[in-house]
Amino acid sequence: MVARGGSFQGAVSASGGSLTGKLYEINWLLPTLVGVLGLVGVTMIFAATDGVWRYGAFQHFVRIGFGGLVMLAVALIDIRVWYRLAYPAYAVGLIMLIGVEFVGLEVNGSVRWLDFGFTRLQPSEFMKPAIVLALARYYHDLPAHRVSHVAGLLGALILLILPMVLILRQPDLGTTLLLATTGVVVVFLAGISWRVIGFASLFASVAIPLFFKFGLKPYQQERVWTYLDPARDPSGASYHITQSKIALGSGGVNGKGFMRGTQRQGEYVPENRTDFIFTVIGEEFGLVGGLLTIGLYMAVIAVCIWLSLQCKEMFSKLLVLGLTTTFTLYIFINLGMVMGLAPVVGVPLPLISYGGTVVLAVMGGFGLMLSAHLHRGIELPRTG
Amino acid sequence: MPSTISQNKIDKNLVTRRTAILGAGGVGVFGVLGARLYQLQVLQAEDYRTLSDNNRFNFNMLLPERGEIKDRFGVPLARNRQNFRLVMIPERTSEIGKTLDRVSRISPISPRQRESIEKDIRQNPKFVPILVKDNVDWETFTALNMQLHALPGIVSEAGQGRAYPENGVFSHVLGYIGRASQKDIEGDDDPLLKQPTFRIGKTGVEAAEEKTLRGSSGKLKVEVNARGRIVREWPDPETRAKRGKDVWLTLDAELQEFAAKQFATEDEGDDSGGVCLIDVLTGELRTLLSMPTFDANLFVSGLTQSDMDRMNSDPKRPQYNKAIAGGYPPASTYKMVVMLAALESGLIDPRKTVFCSGKLRLGNRTFHCWKRQGHGKMDMRDALKNSCDTYFYDISQIIGIDAIAGVARRLGLGESYDISIGGSISGIVPTESWKQQRFGTGWRMGDTLNASIGQGFVLATPLQLAVMTARIANTQDAVLPNLVIGQSLPNFEPLDFNPVHLAYVRDAMWSVTSEPGGTAYRQNPFGTDTTVKGIEMAGKTGTGQVRGISAAERATGIRKNEKLPWKLRDHSIFVGFAPYDRPRFAIGTIVEHGGSGSKRAADISRAVLGEALRRDGLGQASALDPGALR
Repeated sequence: MVARGGSFQGAVSASGGSLTGKLYEINWLLPTLVGVLGLVGVTMIFAATDGVWRYGAFQHFVRIGFGGLVMLAVALIDIRVWYRLAYPAYAVGLIMLIGVEFVGLEVNGSVRWLDFGFTRLQPSEFMKPAIVLALARYYHDLPAHRVSHVAGLLGALILLILPMVLILRQPDLGTTLLLATTGVVVVFLAGISWRVIGFASLFASVAIPLFFKFGLKPYQQERVWTYLDPARDPSGASYHITQSKIALGSGGVNGKGFMRGTQRQGEYVPENRTDFIFTVIGEEFGLVGGLLTIGLYMAVIAVCIWLSLQCKEMFSKLLVLGLTTTFTLYIFINLGMVMGLAPVVGVPLPLISYGGTVVLAVMGGFGLMLSAHLHRGIELPRTG
Repeated sequence: MPSTISQNKIDKNLVTRRTAILGAGGVGVFGVLGARLYQLQVLQAEDYRTLSDNNRFNFNMLLPERGEIKDRFGVPLARNRQNFRLVMIPERTSEIGKTLDRVSRISPISPRQRESIEKDIRQNPKFVPILVKDNVDWETFTALNMQLHALPGIVSEAGQGRAYPENGVFSHVLGYIGRASQKDIEGDDDPLLKQPTFRIGKTGVEAAEEKTLRGSSGKLKVEVNARGRIVREWPDPETRAKRGKDVWLTLDAELQEFAAKQFATEDEGDDSGGVCLIDVLTGELRTLLSMPTFDANLFVSGLTQSDMDRMNSDPKRPQYNKAIAGGYPPASTYKMVVMLAALESGLIDPRKTVFCSGKLRLGNRTFHCWKRQGHGKMDMRDALKNSCDTYFYDISQIIGIDAIAGVARRLGLGESYDISIGGSISGIVPTESWKQQRFGTGWRMGDTLNASIGQGFVLATPLQLAVMTARIANTQDAVLPNLVIGQSLPNFEPLDFNPVHLAYVRDAMWSVTSEPGGTAYRQNPFGTDTTVKGIEMAGKTGTGQVRGISAAERATGIRKNEKLPWKLRDHSIFVGFAPYDRPRFAIGTIVEHGGSGSKRAADISRAVLGEALRRDGLGQASALDPGALR
């Protein structure tokens, strides 16, 4: 591989290029946009907690800063390291998920957390980048002509289904679906033939109703039903959706003004510091604020896609696109939920919602993307 | 590895193509989200703004202040005072039991109270404030307020409570207030009634004038959060609660108090009975008293079982309004009725005398006069002055019971009056048909004889006796009693007796009180102070027998009242009016088991009539005779 234009294209780093040179070569547009989104989060958490810094805004600020450092650190690490770590990371993720099965902490009826003494972790969050790493590696190694073969499909399916089953058992329907969709997208991008896609769709249309009937807990079914008919239980689960829509709708075009949201002040929208934080944006900054936020997200996604296009290796491309997919799905599900288009599944709005693990996972993901882009000139081996 | 490179090339294009497909899909989804946001925030914004306001604003009901009840001079008889109380809003705490425990450590809650609090909590929606402690004194209230942070769900408030300051002498008239019962709520759709802290009139004037006293509820716009806690208030003078109107009674508080004092005895507590003083011209009641009294404040603050038991087991029945609901034989006070009936019938010459030998035989029955040895020759005037029973036995046979009953009715007996408070009874004016209906047996002449001295079937209340006397004194109008100033009253019907006959009756009544030998004679009936000296009255005593007297007892001597158990003593009755020449007030008094009418009831009546005249200033005016001014 020959370095293009003499500037750093990974070739230098392959022979141990300078750290400052690498830092200079990082695509700074992405961290900038991510930082802006993080600050939007700090501002909105500040509003959601009635202007008390220590109720979350400050922590979020620190986490965004720390996440930024993690992102840069991850970005600077050679893509080959990540390539080699793909399967081990996946394995660690699986082990932690199995650990949750046995020694997990129960919160609100779900067992999702592992307590390490000094910190608590949600292995399912860790699994999100890990599964992308594993699938990217898998398809990188798999010759193209075997992508649509039974053996090739089966490998991907096993990689995907193991963590899905474990997460569904916690139970965490939102993350399971997110993981499934991310996996499907990566498989799709890897070049699976349309014929297989056709069969799979057919299968899904039969399997999903069956899964709904037998695979979901009653409360999970309830959420789906409530989504389909919000008037069913006005004080129960759909209360979230109704109040959320009232907050957004009453914001109008220009919003009620920063710290002036009455739905927020009255604490009508539960969880508006975490999953429902978009209602605060919509109520206090109106359509303008909402569209600007969506625009920011679109910009981040566009930059990510652009990064993927510049990558040459299959692993890098799939890694960037897979992580972008996860990020995008977070946004879709969360906004869809807040606006009453998707069931309430408890997915945060990345970078804006309060919550440490998610911030770290998402920013670590961006670090991986940046690393893939930074080291796009390096050729990765193919062991398949 | 050329194959690998070409492989890579193919992959790259494929991935790019598929990225484009997904990218387009993603833009589509974002488009949908943006469109949804537009729909919510622009197209439906107005609806959601309304919903948001509905969320945000609640209308709290404001309770109106209850109107006061005053006497004719404005003395408050029922008024409102600051009432410190604790209420609990159950939805604000998950530890109702613990909170109540803590409250009772500072201010004890009895097991019975606690039971009713817990029942209220169960039966009402969780946001409705439930009364925990009422009428808390200031020290306890401040102590509880200091601890409020440790009492989740408890709210302290200074509300309005009802107080009856006049020592209970108005308890029967005023009644009391209490929480609306299920029946009250069904009969009245005012939402105020459903408020657990709201009180309505239960009996007496409080109940009768409820509509006037209640006022109307107001609304307070409040901003609330999702848990119902008030964040801000938006008071609006337009929607304030309207205070109830005051009700003024015709009663005179001090006179009523004075009358009550007259019932006191040295050794047996308050006597039992009723007294009613009425304005002869207007029918306004100046005194409407039933004795003994009870403290209506107890009913407001919550009666304990022992209070209840004490009241129910008292033979003097304090709760019972004897002035309007106590039916007693009017005894000799009924003789004016018989007299007037005799004169009106034209069958009796008042100057014609009847010889009283102490008894009168009718068939195989003997009717006794109260005076065993007899009165001798009596004309009509003397018969009333001496209360000779024999005379009335004699003439009643000639005029007949129906003529007597007709006059009784025209004088206001046997009728229950609408004096706005409920509970008045009509008493009994017996006639032949009445007996036929009531007992299914025919009228006997003996019944007429008994009725002629106000015994037997005749029953009247102190109020009716006062009205009867007022009509006799008024001459022209059939005066109707009234209690509430401004109460709509029909025009008085003409009484339609021959004024000469009425004057004769009045003169005879005057002889009872003002001629030596009259059964209630006093030289200065109201005392000798200048304001009332020389004012003359007229009246009639009555001694209502409550037991049969056997022939054996008559032979050995009738036992004196003082020697009898209280329950068997005669009722002491008196009616009268004053001043004799220009009648102003009439009175009807009954003292249960008070002995002879010439004693207890006459004493009380004289005192109360005299005090009424003093307070009215009438005595003074009459003392100023024109000559003194010259």
